[in-house]
Amino acid sequence: MKVLIIEDEKELAKSIVEYLSEEKYLCEVASTFTEAMNKIEVFNYDCILLDITLPDGNGLKILEELKNENKQDGVIIISAKNSVDDKIKGLQLGADDYLTKPFHLSELTARIYSLIRRKHFNNSNIIKQDELEIDLLAKTVSVNNELITLTKKEFDLLIYFIGNKNRVLSKSTLAEHLSGDFADMLDNHDFVYAHVKNLKKKLSDAGCEQYIKTVYGTGYKWEG
Amino acid sequence: MGRMKNLLQKSLKQLTIFAFIVFALSIPSYFLLVDWIWLKELDENNHLIAERIENEFNEQSISDEKLAENIKFWNDIQPVSKIEYAEQPLPENTKYTIRRQNPYSKDEAIDRFRGLKTNIKINNQNYILTIETNVEETAETVAYIAMVTLVFFLILVVGFWILNRRLSKKLWQPFQDTLQKLKSFQLNSQKQINFQETDTIEFAELNATLDKLLQHSISTYKNQKEFTENASHELQTPLAVLKNKVDILLQSDDLTERQYHIAEEMNKALIRSTRINKNLLLLAKIENSQFDSSELIGFGTLVVQSMDGLQAHFKEKNISVGSDISSDVEVKGNSGLIEVLINNLIINAIRHTLPGGAISVMLSTSGFEVRNSGEQVLNPDLLFKRFSRMSANNSGSGLGLSIVQEICKLHGWQVTYSFENNEHIFRVTF
Repeated sequence: MKVLIIEDEKELAKSIVEYLSEEKYLCEVASTFTEAMNKIEVFNYDCILLDITLPDGNGLKILEELKNENKQDGVIIISAKNSVDDKIKGLQLGADDYLTKPFHLSELTARIYSLIRRKHFNNSNIIKQDELEIDLLAKTVSVNNELITLTKKEFDLLIYFIGNKNRVLSKSTLAEHLSGDFADMLDNHDFVYAHVKNLKKKLSDAGCEQYIKTVYGTGYKWEG
Repeated sequence: MGRMKNLLQKSLKQLTIFAFIVFALSIPSYFLLVDWIWLKELDENNHLIAERIENEFNEQSISDEKLAENIKFWNDIQPVSKIEYAEQPLPENTKYTIRRQNPYSKDEAIDRFRGLKTNIKINNQNYILTIETNVEETAETVAYIAMVTLVFFLILVVGFWILNRRLSKKLWQPFQDTLQKLKSFQLNSQKQINFQETDTIEFAELNATLDKLLQHSISTYKNQKEFTENASHELQTPLAVLKNKVDILLQSDDLTERQYHIAEEMNKALIRSTRINKNLLLLAKIENSQFDSSELIGFGTLVVQSMDGLQAHFKEKNISVGSDISSDVEVKGNSGLIEVLINNLIINAIRHTLPGGAISVMLSTSGFEVRNSGEQVLNPDLLFKRFSRMSANNSGSGLGLSIVQEICKLHGWQVTYSFENNEHIFRVTF
């Protein structure tokens, strides 16, 4: 899987590359508008991370160019601008997702994972891990072919874990992810504990192996 | 502070009092003057009459007997002038004023007379002639003068009043204009004030000074706002770098549990600074009017949405929730900001309600209200101030309610806090 990171902030690009490289992703970095344009002309990527504010041009132009050439690369805008207008404009131009800086790398990984899954498995987007089967389109989960009912938050949490397999996810990172719009609630860590506990229980009750492991006392990790 | 009066009214009062004193003083002065003229003229008149009488008698060239007879007859028909024989002439003429019955009036009427006693010579004999001429009564003169003065005084006061009204409209118009513009001026509205041109030096100076002051305030305010926005914006990138480095650190295989906890604490602090920074940026953007607030929004839908999203949090703290949401409330505004407003108020309530407490959310056409159970009244002066936390639980960004207030300001609403029956009530009035 090839990922292009269009980001002028070197340290940020470096961190993303380091984090993503542990997965099967092949990362390339473009730190200027021109460099990025050159790259997208020649190569195809599974996912492009696009910073809008570049020193020599507007990232939205790159997005326009991609769409004009009918390229199928998935695009996630990563921007320091939390402006609603930019978000709407970006999504209208055909970006697949929008992430505001600063973000957790685990959040980014989960988004890239979902995006690539969507792009590659249009019709039957099903994730399988032994007895566990997740249908991303229908948003259903089954263990040993038996459907189990998860709440919206629990399903969301499960996908987040799957998108960050074998990664340590700290409680505060999970809290930030689960809070979403209600960012001001994220200091409530018991909330995360309760959701993870419920998810674990539902999965194990259905006969699923315990993939969610507790690490360092308070962190979690999906093993698989 | 007493009753407020405008400047011209105040000066009008003083002027009226002054005019009254002047007019009042003028009455005795005029009287004395008129009376003096009266008497002087009458004295002259009496002299002329005396001379005429003397001449007329002498021109007759009649015998002494006939003269005595004529004088007697004269004295009979002229009660106001008497001719009396005198051995010796008076050493000098005497003038006097007397009040007595007017001999020509049938009614009883005491009148004032000016008299002259003078020597005349008829047929070389000495006579003393007394002439008395009716002169206007003192009281009457005073009354007439006072009356005229009063009329003029009234004309003056009415004139003052009319002029005053005209002046306050015309003369003070530039001042009123400046005042109105200052009243409607808002520092954060980005609108410049243009004062009216005036040819009055004082007003022109006032306007110039105000203009300078306002320009300074506007630019200071603008710089400050831009600074906040730029600073928050600039902080995003280093925060992002830090956050990602911690993320990577957390994935290290050889991390000890102690190191993990340190990294997680750093993570928490970073998440919080990120949140504060985002909120500061949001505040700056609202203040810089970067939001369009003209869409028509179903407020009720947003409230229901927010409450659904927070259901888990209500449950987790065992908070009982009551709601009375009228679904047809539509407002003009920015949906993103209104969502933030609703979320901030409800989240605030959840955070500060003890487990097992109660929250109620109400929406009507007149306003939006969030109540939560509490024990102590909060200081409403500090509540909406930035970074002034009310509780020891300082995990919030300290900006939630400031943001609520700014959003209300942008939409022309009012947010108020009250404490009734052990309930904190936050009310947004549309």
